[in-house]
Parts: sequence; C-alpha cells; structure tokens
Amino acid sequence: MAVSKGQLAMVMDLNKCIGCQTCTIACKRLWTREEGMDYMWWNTVNTMPGRGTPRDWEQMGGGFRDAVAQPGRLPTSRDFGEAWDFNYDEVFQGGKGDKVHLKVVGEEPDWGPNWDEDQGAGEYPNSYYFYLPRICNHCTHPACLEACPRQAIVKRDEDGIVLIDEDRCRGYRFCMEACPYKKIYFNHARKVSQKCIFCFPRIEQGVANACARQCPGRVRFVGYREDQNGPIWKLVDRWKVALPLHPEYGTEPNVFYVPPLAPPRIDANGNLDESKPRIPDEYLVSLFGPKVLDSLKLLKEEMAKVRGGGKSEVLELLIAYRWKEMFGGFDRDPATIEWTKA
Amino acid sequence: MLLDPDGAPWIGARDSDIALFGTPAGPQPTAAIRSRWMGKPIGAVTGVRVAAAHNGELLAFRLEWDDANHDHSAVDTTVFSDGAAVLIPVAADAPVRTMGAPGAAVNAWYWRSDDNARGHHVVAEGLGTTRSLESEPVRARGVWSGGRWRVVIARALDANTSEPIAPLRPGETTGFAVAVWEGGHEERGGIKSFSGDWRELRLAPVALARR
Repeated sequence: MAVSKGQLAMVMDLNKCIGCQTCTIACKRLWTREEGMDYMWWNTVNTMPGRGTPRDWEQMGGGFRDAVAQPGRLPTSRDFGEAWDFNYDEVFQGGKGDKVHLKVVGEEPDWGPNWDEDQGAGEYPNSYYFYLPRICNHCTHPACLEACPRQAIVKRDEDGIVLIDEDRCRGYRFCMEACPYKKIYFNHARKVSQKCIFCFPRIEQGVANACARQCPGRVRFVGYREDQNGPIWKLVDRWKVALPLHPEYGTEPNVFYVPPLAPPRIDANGNLDESKPRIPDEYLVSLFGPKVLDSLKLLKEEMAKVRGGGKSEVLELLIAYRWKEMFGGFDRDPATIEWTKA
Repeated sequence: MLLDPDGAPWIGARDSDIALFGTPAGPQPTAAIRSRWMGKPIGAVTGVRVAAAHNGELLAFRLEWDDANHDHSAVDTTVFSDGAAVLIPVAADAPVRTMGAPGAAVNAWYWRSDDNARGHHVVAEGLGTTRSLESEPVRARGVWSGGRWRVVIARALDANTSEPIAPLRPGETTGFAVAVWEGGHEERGGIKSFSGDWRELRLAPVALARR
C-alpha cells in the first residue's frame, strides 16, 4: 500500500450542492478540451438515486473485498455517454429562422452523462433526490495503481495525488477495470488513460482545485487530511460528519461527503410525517456505510442547538461564512499567477 | 520489399504453422488482472503461420492468422487493437514464459493494428517490466484482407546501442517465440496467445534477397 507523507483530500457537503454543474464546466474548460477528451468529464454531478456516470458504474466491480482485488468490467463509450454533435450551423447560419431547432446530429442518443437528472426516486409528495458530485478519489489504496502492470500510475509521496504517467501508459485500461468508482477515461486519440489530477499544477502554486474554487454553493472543502487546523480533519476526523462514498470498495477514498438531509415526509392527510426519513436510511447506508446515521444524527442535533439560540462550530464550518477557510491554505487567487502551458 | 507481406522476397517462403496457447491467468503481474481473467478463456487466436527472411540488414518475420471479426472502425473503451510480437532472447538462457528475468533480457518486436505503420522495440526482464526503447529499429506493417491478418515485423540485425539488444548474424541460430493479441476479446498486455518454448531459427549464411 502506498502511504504518502501528506494526503490532500476534499469534503463535499451534499446539503449545499444545487446540481448547477459549475464544477463540471470549470474542470472541463481547464483540463479536458484537447483531442480525444471530448467525452471526458473528470468531474461529474449526478442525481441520486440514479444510474450515474458512467451508467450503472456501481455494478461494474473492481476495488477490493477483504483486501483482495475484485474483478471489474470496462464501461463502454455509450455507458459514459459520447460527445454529441449538434446542428449549430443549420440553426445559427442556415437562414431557416425558427423553422429549425437545435438537435443532435446523427444517431439519436439514449444515454448521456446527466441523462437521469432530477428523476430521483419515491412517490409524490414524498419523492426525493440529491446531487452527488464525483471526482477521482485519490485513494489511499488505489485499485488503479495496483492493477497497472506497467507501474504507470503513481501516488505522489508529498501529497497523495494519484497520477497516470502518460509516457509509461500503454492504454491497456486495466486501471479502468479496477477502479470501482469508474473515474478513469480512455483517450482514443492519444491511446492513454486519463483522469482527474486534483488540479496539481494549481495546488503546487497554493491555488485550490478549480471545481472547489468555482463552486457557487461553497460545497467543497480542500486541504491536507492531517492538518488539524484545516477543514478536512475537522469534518472527517473531529466531527466525523463527512464520510467516503462506498467504503466497502476497499480503496480508502480521500473524497468525503457530508450526507444529505431532506425535508420531512408528508402523510395522506397532508400532515408532516416524521416517523421515517424522506430519503430512506438504508439507501444512504448503501452509499456511505452505517456511519452515515451517526453523521445525520449529529447534523440534526447541531441544527436543533442553533435553532435554540446556541452556537455550532461544525455548522459554522459547513456554512462556510469565510470562503477562504474552505481551502486549507490553498487560497491563493489564480489571477495573481501568470500561467504557462509546459 | 521485405516489409510488404506480398513482396517478392516472400514468394516461395517456407511457412511453419505454429500453435498458440492462451497465457495462464495465474502469473499475470497484478491481482486485478488475475481476478478478472481467472477461469476465463484467454488466447482467442489458436495458431499462426510464420515465415522468416533476412536481407543482410533486416530480419523479418511474416505472421498470418485468421481474424474474421477484425474491425478498424470501432472506437470504444471496450475495444482493443489487434497486435502481434516476435520475442527474441538477448541472454541465451532467458526464460520465455516470464518474458526474461532480471539480468536475462528478451527483446519483443511489437506491432499493433492502430499504429500499423511502425513497430516498437521492447526490452523485458520479467513479467511487467517491459519498456520501449527510444531507438526504434523495429519496423512493421500489417495487411488485413479476406478475414486474415498478414503482418511483417522486421528489425535490423544489429544496432549501435548500449541497450540490451539481441545481436543477430547470418549463419547463426537464434531462439524466437510469437504472441498474438485479439483486441476484440479484450486481449492486451499479458493477456494474449503465445507459442510456448523458444523455437529455433537459423539465419541463412548468405542473404537471399538484398533489395
């Protein structure tokens, strides 16, 4: 197991995510605009319950059970959702006025990266959903790294960021099979696997990840896991309010989630029904493990405390009154740096 | 001419049919690969027809095998390129099944259908240790027609390099082995068909075709 000196990590507060995809676009514009990267979304935000991106990734295997590597399968290009071409020329330059509308050119797609947006689950008036943003988890026990027969994947000693060495990568995609989160993409033009790099060129300059810094909802906290003055340690270790997604996959992710609360249910008479939660506990347990119930309990207790006129350190941290404090010291303004492409 | 599978040097070449076997899952270099392939069929291509010729500068192998499902147009994360390689020992005692061992290198002359016009020269000293050499004296060309791949893979007999490269000399004998990857069966890396123990090839003392 690769143990790094320090581990950069992220906490995402699912109670604040509005599914606006600003993170997705911030990442796209910065990192995945080159040839072969059209279909790549290193950052995705999906509606849960839902099939996710790539489609049904939670049923694709990989990772570890009792520390033993589990067989995984490769998502198809259709599972990811191919990049569609649109009839921009016809609509904007075709001189056809309002006779034509924007549509996909070629085969009618039947899936895309956010296809089941806002569908969720449950019956009105007790339907429910929440948004789940995902990036590479930069795992402590990375299944991708261990699966590669060419040692083309490294976990950086200084900060635990997991990177693919494109000079060593032969495009075998064993990493894609092994990653249980299916967060590795294959570049068909360059014939190498690619994935989220935790914005390491920004991090090295003291700038937080683009997805975190651009988030209008102040959802994402960044920093070293071990930094007791930073937000990650406080949320994950001190308050134990943030949990990894699918801990049973055995890779020890370094992205943690504050689980979603939801409004109370409504019964047949239109009255509030607080006998059971709107989002079923068992569903959240299936995503975040049994500790999710302790996390939700703590959140409710702290909210009650504040309603009663008290103060809550953990809620103040989650509300993120002081934006820069979300970034664990990586709060430098990227506009103060002259960036060049190597 | 040597690089053209239908070129004049190959007319009347002596072909040998070599049986290929799937690599075993057990010795694959990572646990994830072993878990994925254990108990699954490996080695979709079960035989290859091989001929060899040299012209005093290049030694070339022509490999032919049936591949009815070959498809150039498919671009999917689950589709891999077909490939073929000839393995040559650098050290006489290099083990073939582990692609060499520390201190006992082997050379692989590697061709892949998505990179058809060139070859790769690979050195290995054991499973999972392959590295491509910067100098690329390996040349290759594949032609697919009528449900069959016909691929020529050639290398200069010798190269001026400090890298471990098997020197080949007319009149001498070398071992060789062959591997084929069926991309449509997700074969890549150590998941392939291979020919087993070293086979012997004697290079003719005089180049028959210097063109």
